Amino acid sequence: MLIAATDPLAFNLLPFITTIVVFTVVALALGMFVWPKILKGLEDRNAKILHEIESAEAARAAAASKQKEFEQKLAEALEQAAQMIREAKSEAVRMGDEIRAKSEADLAERARRAGEEIENARRAAIAELESHAATLAVSIAGRILKREINPADQKRMIEESVTGMSAMSGKRN
Amino acid sequence: MSVFLASESDPIAHIVDKGVFGFNLFERPLMLSMITLVVCAIVLFFLMHRAAKSIATGPVAMGNRRFIPIGSFAALVEVVIVYLRNEMLIPVMGERLTKRYLSFLLSLFFFILALNIVGLIPFVDIQDALYGLMGKKFDIQDHETAAIFGGAATASISVTSGLALISFIVIQFQGFRELGVKGWLEHLCGGHELVHGPIFLWLVIPIVFFVEFFGLFVKPAALAIRLFANMVAGHTLLITLTMFGAMAIKAGLGTFAVGGITIVSGIGAILITFLEVFVAVLQAFIFMFLTAVFISLMAHEEGEEHSDHAIDDGHAASAMTAAH
Repeated sequence: MLIAATDPLAFNLLPFITTIVVFTVVALALGMFVWPKILKGLEDRNAKILHEIESAEAARAAAASKQKEFEQKLAEALEQAAQMIREAKSEAVRMGDEIRAKSEADLAERARRAGEEIENARRAAIAELESHAATLAVSIAGRILKREINPADQKRMIEESVTGMSAMSGKRN
Repeated sequence: MSVFLASESDPIAHIVDKGVFGFNLFERPLMLSMITLVVCAIVLFFLMHRAAKSIATGPVAMGNRRFIPIGSFAALVEVVIVYLRNEMLIPVMGERLTKRYLSFLLSLFFFILALNIVGLIPFVDIQDALYGLMGKKFDIQDHETAAIFGGAATASISVTSGLALISFIVIQFQGFRELGVKGWLEHLCGGHELVHGPIFLWLVIPIVFFVEFFGLFVKPAALAIRLFANMVAGHTLLITLTMFGAMAIKAGLGTFAVGGITIVSGIGAILITFLEVFVAVLQAFIFMFLTAVFISLMAHEEGEEHSDHAIDDGHAASAMTAAH
């Protein structure tokens, strides 16, 4: 064994042992106080990144779900609105038809009543006219006959005239 | 100029480990590499401890910033650790073995890296220069130095052998732990299939045993020699380049020639220094990675690791090729 020689291949026991001892000590020290801290830091960061990525993915999935839900609700709302518009239109048409039918019925009723009133008035007028005509005819006939006609004859003659005029007017109608 | 290393005639003399002048331990000279080892270990621990504090998760009060490492050194350490673990060790060793040996392998890598990097910084030359400027008051022999710290510790075969012995112990520990004594012996004899295979194949077992048994020692020896040789070669080249100027002066060349040679060799030395920084990192990585490969090979007989190793053998083979 060469000690402190100038031969680079000379083996020296002291540096050899020192290397083993020093490395063992430093490896133990690093293994106890350094590498665990570093590796834990790396693991923590990895876990954090993984967690953040998973959270982001979950949030994205939730957002997509919410968006889908919102779109679905929006579509439903649009459909409901369209349905309401359709119903309103239908109701309006129905009400319009109803009002129109009612108006037409009312109008027809009024026309019918007016017709009846006119008919009644016409009949009353005719009856009155016939009564006056009979009275006038009896009066004229009395003057022609130059004699007094008693009330019973007068009444009988008027009734006969009226009956006769009514029969005539019935024929005209 | 004579106070600088460049004046030395033998570049190897600058690289070899030397005794620290005036210090002895157990009646042997205290070697410079020993002090460097201790100092590097202490500095490494404190640097890494500081980095660990920066990387570790901070208090909740810091909010999300507690997960972010503080400082560029911590970020660099983190990047290296994550890369080594995720891209190198897990593909080779699998999750289980990586978890078990990560602490050891990271310590090995950073310790060798620290020694390699310190070897590139001319601490010894600065101290020798200061000693020279002080007038060289002591009678320091060639195998001694006035410096008390520095030098390329990994350019000493004694240091790299120590590291290789540790790797050897861990590799064999893994072998016994994973395979048991019987499995370990089977592994040396070529594996379970060969030992329990056809009888005529038993003729091969002694040869396999011989190769595998010597392989046990050759592998760590190769680790030690590779690291040592790369460091010695790199430093020799670097020193040789820096010596050209002084050699030109000694050769009595003119000022212009000396200046030209010094500038050219200086530029070359700077470029080689960059290369040496790369080599320092690469050799630390190779030492650690091959140790990881050898550890994983000791789990080769385990069924659960088979699929991993089918892929990883290629990985290991390419790493071995790169190392050579």
